[in-house]
Amino acid sequence: MSYDLNIPFLSSTPTPELERTIAFLASLGYTTLALSQTHNASSLPSQVTNTIPLPPVLKTPSKTTILRRCTLILSDPAHNPRLTVLSQSYDMLALRPTTEKAYLSACLSMPEISIISLDLTQRFGFHFKPKPLMTAVNRGVRFEINYAQAVQGDGPARRNFISNAMAIIRGTKGRGIVISSEATDVIAVRAPADVLNLLGVWGLGRERGLEALGVNPRGVVVNEGLKRSGFRGVIDVVNGGERPVVEKKEGGKESAKTKTKRKVEETTVEGTPPISKRQAKRMKLEALKALKANASSQSQKEGSSSSQIKTQIQSKAMTLDSTSKLKPKG
Amino acid sequence: MVRIKNRYLLVNILYPKLESATSKTPIPDVVAFNQPTSSSLDQNVLLKAIRAQVLELFGDYGSGAVLDSLQIKYFSQATSTFILRVSRSHYQIAWAALSFMTKEPVKNGKNCVFRVVRVSGTIRKAEEEGIRRAKEIVIMARREMGEQSDSTLDNIFGKGGKNNAADATNDITMVDAVDSEDEELSDDD
Repeated sequence: MSYDLNIPFLSSTPTPELERTIAFLASLGYTTLALSQTHNASSLPSQVTNTIPLPPVLKTPSKTTILRRCTLILSDPAHNPRLTVLSQSYDMLALRPTTEKAYLSACLSMPEISIISLDLTQRFGFHFKPKPLMTAVNRGVRFEINYAQAVQGDGPARRNFISNAMAIIRGTKGRGIVISSEATDVIAVRAPADVLNLLGVWGLGRERGLEALGVNPRGVVVNEGLKRSGFRGVIDVVNGGERPVVEKKEGGKESAKTKTKRKVEETTVEGTPPISKRQAKRMKLEALKALKANASSQSQKEGSSSSQIKTQIQSKAMTLDSTSKLKPKG
Repeated sequence: MVRIKNRYLLVNILYPKLESATSKTPIPDVVAFNQPTSSSLDQNVLLKAIRAQVLELFGDYGSGAVLDSLQIKYFSQATSTFILRVSRSHYQIAWAALSFMTKEPVKNGKNCVFRVVRVSGTIRKAEEEGIRRAKEIVIMARREMGEQSDSTLDNIFGKGGKNNAADATNDITMVDAVDSEDEELSDDD
C-alpha cells in the first residue's frame, strides 16, 4: 500500500503517456495516485474548473485509485487565494509557497490546505526552523518531498534539493513527511524501495520513510475525504438517508415553501432541535428586549441577579448563533 | 581475520517509456516494461556507467568507498536483470547511484529505470529471487495476452495468476524487512 500523491497533470500531456505513467506506477506497487493540477494564486481565473479526467475516461489498472488534487503556487498570503472555492472542486488541496511570508502563513494558519509542497530545487533565503515546521505537522499539515525534482534536475537543482530535503527532515525529525514523485516524465518514477533508500541516504530513517510512503499520505487522503463528505470532521456521512418522495400539492408557492423548510430540517437533524425562522426571530427580539430592560434596571438591582440574566441571554444568543450556522447556503 | 561482507543487489532494468507504435497489435504493459536490453550493453559498460554515476553523485569519497567491491556478478540481456556486488557498509551509495540513472549507458541508449528488487547477503538468495521473478513475469504476461485475445491460455494456466500478481506487490514493500533477517542468518555461518 504505497501512495503517490503528486503526478503532474498538464493539459498538454497526451492521454496515452499519462496512462502509461499510471500503469507503470501501479506495476511498481503504488495503489493510490493523485493527479495534480497547478494554479498560480496571482493569476487565478475567476471560475476554476477541474479538467482532470477520471477512470471511465482514463484507462487505469483496476486496483488503482485515482484522486484529483490542486497545487496552488502562492507568493503573497495577502492575496486572498480563495482556498475554499478551490478545495470544493478538487479532492485535495496543496500549497506551494515561494516566499518566507507565504511559507510561514501556510505553516501557522490556513486551515484549508493539507499538504505543503515546496519546490526544493530552489535555494530558499530562509531556514526551515523546527518551530513552524512542527506547528504545521501538529495541525495536520504534511510536508511533501518530490523526489523526481532531484532525479530530473541538473547539478545545482539536485544540490539544492538535497540540502532542502535534509533541512526539512532535520527540522521535523522525519515526522509528518509525505513522499511523492512529481514526475513529469515516466522515466523519473522510482519504486518504493528505491525511494526509501534514496531518502535513507539523505537522513530519513527506514521507519519514518515507510510512514511517509504509506501512513501519512493515507491520513491526508482520509482527512480530505472527511472534510468533503463528513459533518464538521466528526461524523462521516456514508449515506445521508433518503426521504420518501412526497407527491406534489397543487399550487407552486406552497410546494416551494415546503421544499425550503425541508432543507432546514435536514440540516438540523444531526443534533439540535429544529427552530423555525419565525421562532428564531421572536427569540431574538425577546432577548433584545430583555437586554434593554436589564440595562435600565441594572442600576437598581444588585450585581448577582443581573449577572444571572446576562448568562441566560448569552446562552440564548449562542443557540441563535448555532441555528444561523446550520442554515443551508442558498 | 574477519571475512569481507558484501551485499548482492538484484536489479531489474525497466522500460516504461512509451514508444511510437510500430507493431499493430498492442503489447501488454508487463512485456513492454520488461523488454530485453540492447545487445551492445555488456557487463563492463554497465559497471563503468555505475562507477561514473557514483562519482558524479558522491564524489571521490563515494567512488573510493565502493571501488574495490563493486562488481557485476551476473548479467542477462534477455531478462534485463543483473546482480551487483557491493561492500555491505556502502551498498546504499551504489543503490542511490542506480536510482539516478535514467538511460542505458550505450550509444543511442533507450531510457530506462534501474529498479533494485532485492538486497541480499548471499548471491544464492539473489539468484533464487531472480528466477522466481522471471517466472512470475512470464505468467503475468501470458495472462494479459490471454485477456486480450482468447481465454485459451487462461484455461491452461488457470486463474492462479491473479494471486501471484498480488504477492508480487506485497514483496516490493516488504523486500527489506525480509532481507535483513536472512542476511543475518547467512552471515553467521
